[in-house]
Amino acid sequence: MNIFDKTWAWFTADGAWTGAGGIFQRVAEHLGYSALILLIAAVIAVPIGLMVGHTGRGENVVVAITGALRALPTLGLLTLFALWLGLGLVAPIAALVILAIAPLLAGVYSGIAAVDKVTVDAARAQGMTESQILRKVELPLALPLIFGGIRNAALQVIATVTVVAYINLGGLGRYLIDGLAVRDYPRMVAAVVLVALLALIVDALLALLQRALTPRGTR
Amino acid sequence: MKDTDVLDSPNAIEFKSVTKKYGDVVAVDNLNLSIPRGKITVFVGPSGCGKTTSLRMINRMVEHTSGEILVNGEPNTAQEPHKLRRSMGYVLQQAGLMPHRTIVDNIATVPRLNGTSAKSARTEALQLMETVGLDTSLAKRYPAQLSGGQAQRVGVARALASNSSILLMDEPFSAVDPVVRQDLQKELLRLQSELQRTIIFVTHDIDEAVLLGDYVAVFAVGGRLAQFGTPEEILREPADDFVASFVGRDRGMRRLTFAGASDVKIHPLTSQHTPWQQWELKVEDGKPAGWIIDGRTIPGGSLFVEGGTLRDALDSVLSSPSGVGVAVDRNGKVLGLLKSEDVLAATEAERHRRYGVNA
Repeated sequence: MNIFDKTWAWFTADGAWTGAGGIFQRVAEHLGYSALILLIAAVIAVPIGLMVGHTGRGENVVVAITGALRALPTLGLLTLFALWLGLGLVAPIAALVILAIAPLLAGVYSGIAAVDKVTVDAARAQGMTESQILRKVELPLALPLIFGGIRNAALQVIATVTVVAYINLGGLGRYLIDGLAVRDYPRMVAAVVLVALLALIVDALLALLQRALTPRGTR
Repeated sequence: MKDTDVLDSPNAIEFKSVTKKYGDVVAVDNLNLSIPRGKITVFVGPSGCGKTTSLRMINRMVEHTSGEILVNGEPNTAQEPHKLRRSMGYVLQQAGLMPHRTIVDNIATVPRLNGTSAKSARTEALQLMETVGLDTSLAKRYPAQLSGGQAQRVGVARALASNSSILLMDEPFSAVDPVVRQDLQKELLRLQSELQRTIIFVTHDIDEAVLLGDYVAVFAVGGRLAQFGTPEEILREPADDFVASFVGRDRGMRRLTFAGASDVKIHPLTSQHTPWQQWELKVEDGKPAGWIIDGRTIPGGSLFVEGGTLRDALDSVLSSPSGVGVAVDRNGKVLGLLKSEDVLAATEAERHRRYGVNA
């Protein structure tokens, strides 16, 4: 039996999908962590991106920070936080939030900054307040780039959240870490396939959402 | 200004010693200017003369550095900028429509901001589309689906929707082609004859200024107001060398736009369509159809339409292959012929009349 047959066998084994430690449970954990991380990252990155994009102030700082954040090794960060904050949910969440902030911030900031200055000038001249300009003009027009950032962040988080298994949490990373420990390679291949599928499905769903939300005149 | 009713009525906008500086650079230098109500006032000048800055200071898109701007007698700093802006229409050079909103929603922007219900704002917007000559079947389209001329009409409709007495127009027709520009200019004059708003119109084109303006303010480089007056005054008596050079070499011709041609004699056609030397006017269905010479037909020049200006009369003479102008009535039917010596005599008489001396 080659590795693919063995992986197939793993997928079709009794109890592989349901029950404690089954695929359904691991996928749910995986998505749960990912959603929580993206939510926290969005709460931090979106307001900053909106303000910087709208006012044009702090652009250099944003560019420098997003560049630096992208360069940080997540596994190293996770280890550091785990040593510092102890085991549990806080350390991995913090490490991955930092990972997700960079693409979100870049997407929101560049989306708002890329809105045609003439359109913004016209909106202001018609008598829109700054917050109306942001909500009714810049945000709808920036949606494609903002969604680019969200999808980018979601892909990265779903792929990387596997590392939380490293410090005894759940998710699909469990199969990787546990599989490696007992040299169960089919289980590891299965984990990789599941993570990739999950990332693709989530990206497709976000693409549909983006299409539904993008204003017609700008498509 | 000789126009007494303008002196009697309060001005819509007054600039009082207004200066705008960017750092040490003076963009507008101690501007004193009263803009009459219900008229079109054109700010004209070369690039960098502060005309657009002056316009944008009225609705505080640019804040002035010193001095005071009165709008309907109140300082424009008395209310918040966004409220001030909602109280006057603004038309930009590149239309500046919101690409994510339909035409009708673009036009309804200001009424919606002012709290009008979506339904009545849309009803009003549809009426305004008709006012500016747009087919209401375009209402549900998006700005990207419009031509430049249509987009600019939407921009004008949006500015009118604020229902204010003041309309600010920043080079609104300079980004469209000449044919469309002429349409839009005519349309603006037609609208203004109905609406009688106070319009401040910025352009760098002296022809446009002369055509549209009841009053023209000529700005010079450095943000200095060089001259303010009617187009006729500015063409006749430029205040200084700058204005004289800016209004250009053609100003003598342009000035004839303000002189009627009722004194120019129209020579009647004879029953043979008047052989004029060896030229013969070809007439079909009572309308001119070119000139016949040596059995060939040559297309005619511009036609002088009854009631036209001296400039039209002169052009009909100069552009005619026979050197004889053709006068038509408003339906295009031939009235008779214009001779160049009569037209030149009329310009001479007009000059004498203007300076109050008899020939």
